[in-house]
Amino acid sequence: MEQEWSYLVEEYRAMLYRIAFSNMKNRADAEDAVQEAFLRYMKDEKPIQNKEHEKAWLIRTTIHICLDILKSGWYQRTVPWNESFENATKNIYLPYQVRDDETLEAVLQLPVHYRNPIYLFYYEDYSIHEIAGILNEKEGTIKTRLRRGREEVKKILTEGRP
Amino acid sequence: MGIQEVQSQNGTSAYQKKKKTGRAEGFQESLLQNLKNRDQEKQSNTAAETEAKQAVIGTQISAKAKAEKVGMGRIGAVPDIRVNAAATQEALQAVEVRHMSYEDSDHVRIAVMEGYTLKGKREEGADARVYVEAKYEDGRMEAYQVEMAKVPEQTEHRIEQFALETMKEGV
Repeated sequence: MEQEWSYLVEEYRAMLYRIAFSNMKNRADAEDAVQEAFLRYMKDEKPIQNKEHEKAWLIRTTIHICLDILKSGWYQRTVPWNESFENATKNIYLPYQVRDDETLEAVLQLPVHYRNPIYLFYYEDYSIHEIAGILNEKEGTIKTRLRRGREEVKKILTEGRP
Repeated sequence: MGIQEVQSQNGTSAYQKKKKTGRAEGFQESLLQNLKNRDQEKQSNTAAETEAKQAVIGTQISAKAKAEKVGMGRIGAVPDIRVNAAATQEALQAVEVRHMSYEDSDHVRIAVMEGYTLKGKREEGADARVYVEAKYEDGRMEAYQVEMAKVPEQTEHRIEQFALETMKEGV
């Protein structure tokens, strides 16, 4: 069982950390969120159908944990140690070379309902169908958010405002 | 008394008669004028339409020629990387999408602003070939096999350019 879990952690840790970091914008909170997601996975008795379902479950749970932390009274009363956006992209180790850090920084500045679909679609290479399943939204909603989010990215890059 | 005097024999007043005649004449004149104007307008409209049509045809021809030269398609939301027949005949061949991951790709381009991603992988074998997978914001996916021997070094086609970059990545 322990071996199974360590394999699971090895396989998904990096990806979940990137997703958590894109939401939390600081390393410590992102690591906390990922740990919490793994803990919930180990504790919960859930019917995981296949590998894809397992992955989707972990991503969804990580995003929910991040959103819960961001909404919590404690978090609202404290000042988070946000990494600067210039450094933020250095904390996301993607399994490929990103040549356009500026755009990634702009994506990280988007509101959460645009940020997660855009990040998952472009940087984690998920399909619209998969993102709809992960975020529990309709495919049409995801398409709209991708389009509007892209317009917001343009605004950030051209006008410098989210 | 005065009134009786100005009335004609058939009982219609001279004033009314005059007024009626005047109206009819005026109407006829304005009708003729309108018809004349309409004819002139038609003629000028036809000339303008012909001119406009010629201009549109000219633009279409030049756009078509330009698109074929560059290898751009004219349909789709992302015209820059849509492939038209002219380009496909040569170096590009549409193939089945393999759903290759970023990790398995030799080269990745993430174009958030343009709404697409490209993944490229050099193919094993004697001929230099690159497999390119495109994913669009509206959910469509397309895949191409690029024969590198047929790709000009100075190509302006996005897929071909990307295939060249993929080849260079491995060098």
